[in-house]
Amino acid sequence: MEYAGKKKNPLSKVVLFIVLLMIAVVQIFPLIWLVDFSLASSNEMFTSGLLVIPEKIQWGNYVKAFVDGNFLLYLKNSLLINFLAVFFVIIISIMAAFACKRMQWKLSGVVQTILLMGMMIPIHATLLPNYKIYNALNLTDTIWALLIPYVAFSLPQGMFLMGSFLESVPKELEEAAVIDGCGIYRIIFIIVTPLLKASITTVSIMTFLNNWNEFMMASTYLSTPKWKTLPFSVLEFTGEYSSNYAVQFAVMALTAAPAVIVYIILNKHITKGVAMGAVKG
Amino acid sequence: MKKMYSNKLVIFSLVLPGLLVFLFAILAPICLSVYYGFTDYSGMGEAVWVGLENYKTLAHDTKFFISLKNSLLLAIGFILIQHPIAIVVAAVLDKLQGKAEGFFRCVYFIPNVISVAVIAYLWKFIYNPDFGLLNNVLKAFGYQGQINWLSADNAIWAVLVVLIWHGFGWGMLIYYTGIKNIDPVLYEAAAIDGADSKTTFIRITLPLMVPVIQVNVTMAIISALKQMETVYLLTGGGPGDRTQFAANYLYQQAFKAFRYGYGNAIGVVFIIICLVVTVLLNQVIFRQRED
Amino acid sequence: MKKKLVAVMMTAAMTAGMLAGCGSKNAAEPQSTKTSDTDSAAEDTTSEGAGGTEQSAETAGEAVTLKIFSNLPDRKNGQGLVEQMIIDEYMAENPNVTIEVEALDEEAYKTKFKAYSMDGMPDVVSIWGQPSFLDEVLEAGVLAELNEDDYADYGFIAGSLEGFKKDGKLYGLPRNTDIQIIYYNQKMFEDNGWEVPSTYEEYITLCQTIKDAGITPVAMDGGDGWPMACYLTDILVKVAGTDYADIVSNAVASGDFTAPEIKEATQLLVQAAEAGVFQTGYDTQDYGTAQNLFTNGQAAMFAMGSWECSMALNEDIPEEIRTNIRAFTLPPMADGKGGANDIAAWNGGGYAVSANSEIKEEAIKFLNYMYQPDKLSKYGWENGVGMSAQDQSSFMTGNETELQKQVVDILKNATSVSGTPINDCGPSAFKTAIESEIQSVSNGTESIDDFLAAIGAACK
Repeated sequence: MEYAGKKKNPLSKVVLFIVLLMIAVVQIFPLIWLVDFSLASSNEMFTSGLLVIPEKIQWGNYVKAFVDGNFLLYLKNSLLINFLAVFFVIIISIMAAFACKRMQWKLSGVVQTILLMGMMIPIHATLLPNYKIYNALNLTDTIWALLIPYVAFSLPQGMFLMGSFLESVPKELEEAAVIDGCGIYRIIFIIVTPLLKASITTVSIMTFLNNWNEFMMASTYLSTPKWKTLPFSVLEFTGEYSSNYAVQFAVMALTAAPAVIVYIILNKHITKGVAMGAVKG
Repeated sequence: MKKMYSNKLVIFSLVLPGLLVFLFAILAPICLSVYYGFTDYSGMGEAVWVGLENYKTLAHDTKFFISLKNSLLLAIGFILIQHPIAIVVAAVLDKLQGKAEGFFRCVYFIPNVISVAVIAYLWKFIYNPDFGLLNNVLKAFGYQGQINWLSADNAIWAVLVVLIWHGFGWGMLIYYTGIKNIDPVLYEAAAIDGADSKTTFIRITLPLMVPVIQVNVTMAIISALKQMETVYLLTGGGPGDRTQFAANYLYQQAFKAFRYGYGNAIGVVFIIICLVVTVLLNQVIFRQRED
Repeated sequence: MKKKLVAVMMTAAMTAGMLAGCGSKNAAEPQSTKTSDTDSAAEDTTSEGAGGTEQSAETAGEAVTLKIFSNLPDRKNGQGLVEQMIIDEYMAENPNVTIEVEALDEEAYKTKFKAYSMDGMPDVVSIWGQPSFLDEVLEAGVLAELNEDDYADYGFIAGSLEGFKKDGKLYGLPRNTDIQIIYYNQKMFEDNGWEVPSTYEEYITLCQTIKDAGITPVAMDGGDGWPMACYLTDILVKVAGTDYADIVSNAVASGDFTAPEIKEATQLLVQAAEAGVFQTGYDTQDYGTAQNLFTNGQAAMFAMGSWECSMALNEDIPEEIRTNIRAFTLPPMADGKGGANDIAAWNGGGYAVSANSEIKEEAIKFLNYMYQPDKLSKYGWENGVGMSAQDQSSFMTGNETELQKQVVDILKNATSVSGTPINDCGPSAFKTAIESEIQSVSNGTESIDDFLAAIGAACK
């Protein structure tokens, strides 16, 4: 897009670049600060400098965070719960979207509206009653207590995206499949699903981003460490190490790390996925 | 084909999982909320039916109105601060090419993938008047005072800054994608007409971005309404109730003040407000689009 | 159906617990229960019925998993360490018992406790013997009744069980005797030539001097609300003397907080806050932040309860500060009724057993074990945790920290003890209100009259 820059002098380009750089610094500096202090000792925090050069790099902070923070267990829980949530959201939303967009029945519009309603319901309003329900069914402190609401609140968006992508998939393929004698389920999972690859990626990323960082429900519905997820470890740790700031910083850095690393590696795909989802939504 | 596509049993089996999830995780709790909203249930013991009592109390509950006002402030903040910056940055980024473009896009988005739990605690430290990053930055520029970023007057803005910082990448990315989708031919035409980049931005980019802006603004208002996690961890709604939000307030009432019934009544009103606002916003946008 | 499900789950948990018991001593370690889940399937049938209604300790040898819900998340220091020591000992002595601990800090604990009390609680729980906490809990009948006669030899200080009773029945046991004190950094005081104040007026002047020296006078956890309410209690005790309890209970009963003493105490709090006695931003900062200001030498004093005496032994705190922590109580005022030895102190925290516990007997057995005088009370003493609610005089070794000796003296010399702090004297709606409103009144965004009216309204 050279044409737009043609009239610009080099100076304004430099200024622009500096502004962009400053915003980048604002966005990223707190995280650098976090990592910096997580390697120092607690009393080194009370300096007036922006960053400290630790007298001795305190790797021990991370060891404490890793061991006492049950990092591996919580990471495993987070991964398992999130992958399951993504899996269920995709399967259920493809099925429902297909039924509402392709199948011919009177109530398709109504059902679709009902399912999409979930998008408008504030998730936190269900915290109180759901707690009661899960308790009555003995679901608190099980994986279901998180999985059910995670799926439920990601489903409407998933269904919406699947639906709008589905509309752009040509019907001819299905017609051909019907003539070949395929049943509906085969059509959905063998013929149509592969065509929805782009939207499946988008829905997966959106679902993952929504739920990976969730802690309100985790802290309400869970009690033992058995299913606790990563964001929870931060809450737990600030109480446990209230007199040791550096370890708190280490646990925060450690909790943030997996998502940031994965994001940097898959940056292009994630950006594309989010953009696609956002524009359609 | 038609027969197969209207097989009731198949249709039923396809929508059943979705409907079940909806019934169990969304509809059932709402119904339960409606029921408890009519009782004085404390969370333990017996629930006694009190009719509209909770709703009458709520109508005079200044704290609830403070939370709605805070949502409004937050929404205005998003619309007037976050989005203009995001859209301009997106436009500028679009003009950059090569590595820099990808680099900035990536960096801006990083805070977004970090958990609110980490973000809120981190900002608690950043705002700390004694050793926090922000006051140390001011010190580096020679300012000697100690600013209390979370004082009664500043707290709501401090919350806003955290949310803008956290959500900036998301908003920017959406505008960025919108701008990328604009047909380059239009820019070429503008360039031939001799328009500079400012004019191009105002005359071409902005008007074409109106639908994207509408969607983004709707999302901003709704997310301001639903705000809970950041304040829950950063300020707990305080000092006093200066940073109270509806979701946080209902949680506090139910689980802290032993007013589970009242908390549910707040929940019901909260849900209704969210529904009404969403529908209204959609109406406004729809009508404009049809014009 | 529900019962059966519980039974199956219990059995699974117990078997898992038993297997895990061999591998790991630490019940707080979650992996221990995880790994054995799969191989325990076969044994489920053998211990069938173990999860029935009443699993008593007599059937020794059968695996029991005891769940403890504690408000002490820091298991390596102070009170939490003491609790964990006893738990580990108990498990060593009773190999069939596995104890799982869930610990959250006080605010989160209370929230979750209320959530738990709706349907089923862990077996042993932390509680507070105060109306704001206990009234509704007892009304709902979620705590098991204890036999008071069992504790005749436990050396409980006279009157310390009163807060845990309802209609003459005992439902819990107190852990501590808490005294509201002001910790100070002795070395900092000496280096600057500051004196421990003997009157309230001197105290305020001292704070001004400290502030002028560029140091925070008093570190205050204002974000949580209750520490400030305890501090207000202390002021009120100095204003009203032994009338404190009557004034507060009348106010709570009538919803009218305009008594001149309460008004004056509030005013003194507001004036102090205005004068900058507390750190900047105290009204949103939490416990850890306030404490760290003090323990890192950024603040000269720290207003908190006597349970923080263990700071003197906390290795995370730099040594030159840790060994220099000393304490005094808020000094008396020129025109106040409270003397230097009328102190704000109460028996707050403690333990109870859940009424619906499937293993109530075992839970009570553990509770009694914990309260044997040579356990909670002695270990607490040795770890400098402050004062238990039991007679500790026999544990004096002379090796106690200076801080500990000071606190013992404060209690020993007390001419009167206030009882429950003001925020815990009313229903929980009142507690929630005062702990939030006290932030507004102290930072000047609410007038004193509005504050008193607001907390009064919450009593009705």
